[in-house]
Amino acid sequence: MKVTFPHMGNAWIVIQALFETLNVDVAVPPPTSKGTLNLGTKLAPESSCLPLKINLGNYIEAAAKGADTIAITGGIGPCRFGYYGEVERQILRDAGYSYEVVILEPPDGSLWGLAKRIRYLAGRHNSWTKILKAMRFAYRKSVALDEVEDMIHAARPRLLEPLAAEKLYSKAKQHLIEASEDKGLEEAVFRVQQSIKEGQAAFRGEKPLRVGVVGEIYTILDPFSSLDVEQQLGNLGVEVNRSIYLSSWVGQHVFQGLAQGYRPLRDYPRLAKPYLPHFVGGHGQETVGAAVQFAREGADGIIQLLPLGCMPEIVASSVLPRIQADYRIPIMTLTVDEHSGRAGVQTRLEAFVDLLERRRNRTLTREDVLNVARE
Amino acid sequence: MKVGYPRAVHYYDYFPFWAGFFQGLDLELIASPLTNRKILEQGLKKASDETCLPIKLLAGHIQALSGMGVDALFLPRMVSVEEKTYLCPKLLGLPESVFAAVPEGMRILTLDFNVRLGKRRVIRTLEEFAEGLGKTRAEARQGFLLAQNWQERYESRRHEGRSFGESMGEFDPRLAGEAGRTIRFDNPDRDESAAVLTVALVGHPYLTQDNYANLNLVAKLGERAHVRFIEEMEPQGIEQGLQGLHKSVFWSHARKIMGAGAAYIGDEAVDGVIYLSCFGCGTDSMTQDMVARIARQQHKPYMVLTLDEHSGEAGLVTRLEAFLDMTERRVQRESNFSAHG
Repeated sequence: MKVTFPHMGNAWIVIQALFETLNVDVAVPPPTSKGTLNLGTKLAPESSCLPLKINLGNYIEAAAKGADTIAITGGIGPCRFGYYGEVERQILRDAGYSYEVVILEPPDGSLWGLAKRIRYLAGRHNSWTKILKAMRFAYRKSVALDEVEDMIHAARPRLLEPLAAEKLYSKAKQHLIEASEDKGLEEAVFRVQQSIKEGQAAFRGEKPLRVGVVGEIYTILDPFSSLDVEQQLGNLGVEVNRSIYLSSWVGQHVFQGLAQGYRPLRDYPRLAKPYLPHFVGGHGQETVGAAVQFAREGADGIIQLLPLGCMPEIVASSVLPRIQADYRIPIMTLTVDEHSGRAGVQTRLEAFVDLLERRRNRTLTREDVLNVARE
Repeated sequence: MKVGYPRAVHYYDYFPFWAGFFQGLDLELIASPLTNRKILEQGLKKASDETCLPIKLLAGHIQALSGMGVDALFLPRMVSVEEKTYLCPKLLGLPESVFAAVPEGMRILTLDFNVRLGKRRVIRTLEEFAEGLGKTRAEARQGFLLAQNWQERYESRRHEGRSFGESMGEFDPRLAGEAGRTIRFDNPDRDESAAVLTVALVGHPYLTQDNYANLNLVAKLGERAHVRFIEEMEPQGIEQGLQGLHKSVFWSHARKIMGAGAAYIGDEAVDGVIYLSCFGCGTDSMTQDMVARIARQQHKPYMVLTLDEHSGEAGLVTRLEAFLDMTERRVQRESNFSAHG
């Protein structure tokens, strides 16, 4: 048995750590590329959402590396992600790939069923204590990754050399991938901290603009799917803040809220209440709540990211204009799919950042912009 | 007090329930006019660009209520109507996501309808709702019984094979009148013997039963074929159709479409299956693919029609004719004819 799993930003690092601690043979899919997406797009239903297409591409490329089992989490709706496992199984079966798909969820609410599935993946040689220990270590790794990523967000607009932050990030990621115990994780985080401290000593510019990124989790976590929105914003001199981090998702989804992750999600529904008092699946309500939080914290602007057709995020995007009006904060919705081009995204980001800059420098207020339009 | 109910999305499934409930409260619940061009255009103006056709139509129907002299708009948040399933996320986001379409000054009545929380919670929600309208708890419970009764009656009529217009007309007077004729597409000149085929039209009822949104597809289809709908399928049939899945579908509608679609494909009496979908439908993107796989395995003629606000009638007719021609030829023993073009 050789297990593979979706890439989803840095999630693969965490899943790989989990399986390798348990001595389970894994095949990590090659980094997601345009080719990966093309493979997935060919097989996936046309109007399915982008993450499904990328997932399928990942699996097909992993099959070439000998993978024969897919591990994926599930859900009971109403977001489409919860049904990915079954649809992917059928698609891959009909396309001639002999994959076993193991959906890590309690089937029909049965915890015993979930235990059996974990046992199937982990094999006979691992005790439950060992499995739990491995899960906890993987979780700590996800927190470390999030800490590093958050620091990189702050570093991008502050380091003078344009690619310095990216170099730092990929080096830190490498260290975290290799780390097999807590000490390694702490060291990697510490080293990034130190390098940023040294690097930004020379920074004399004004305080960077702050933009909150909210929206659908896959497009937020996976830079390939969003065409590096966060990196592009960083290069434009913007400090990015983000609503959902990987470890928060792991904490909520896998540990059922027992762990809260790097950035807890628990406050979002309360904040969203005046605008969207009910969950709508996926992270629709979290998107609304996070937008309120960013607006209250005084962010300069908010960007909502979603894959085309994402049901919960469409609901969220219908109520965001009210937050925009109430808090007087510019909110932009950015939809991505397999046809999105880097230049198009870049243009929109530049225009948005330009608007934020003018607003801050008071050379042009939002009212002025509206007045120009009226004249 | 007169309360308006937009003739969109869950109207096509649950209007009898809510009409019964309001009847029990001694209030009048009336549906907005049949979909027309103005409703669609107004809906497009007020709904989010990215959302699906049914929600855009809903935004139009909400605006259409303003001219009807209603005192309030009733738009429940239908979260779940049976255990273990949800409705679509976009329905969970109502009414907040269509606030922009609500005419100024119109009062919105809403409640969360969630059967997953148990029958007692549902009744309590209904009681609280009724109290907010100055009615008693007893009246609310009375209304709930009547609601269930009406809903069951509507569903059993549909299972008997009666048309949507005829079954719904009992609860919605507008459909019982002249408009019902077009809905039931019973054209007196129609030659019954010409319809040699039986075609199942699977898809959300708010598409298959809204004759404006689907460009009068049902009537066109009815000229050459007997049309079957998913609402005619008994629950056992749906259950049967879902047998091959490794994981149960967690959206009520998708589950019904998937199960009924699969069952019709396996039914010898059905010659072809048409899946009517709309652009941007999230649940259809999954079920459509799975139903297509089953059709392919069993060599049943199968076609997907995707509607949106730009759909042209000529394109639809061409595809429909081609499909029916193909299906007819297959029925006339050219069974080696490709089932999917």
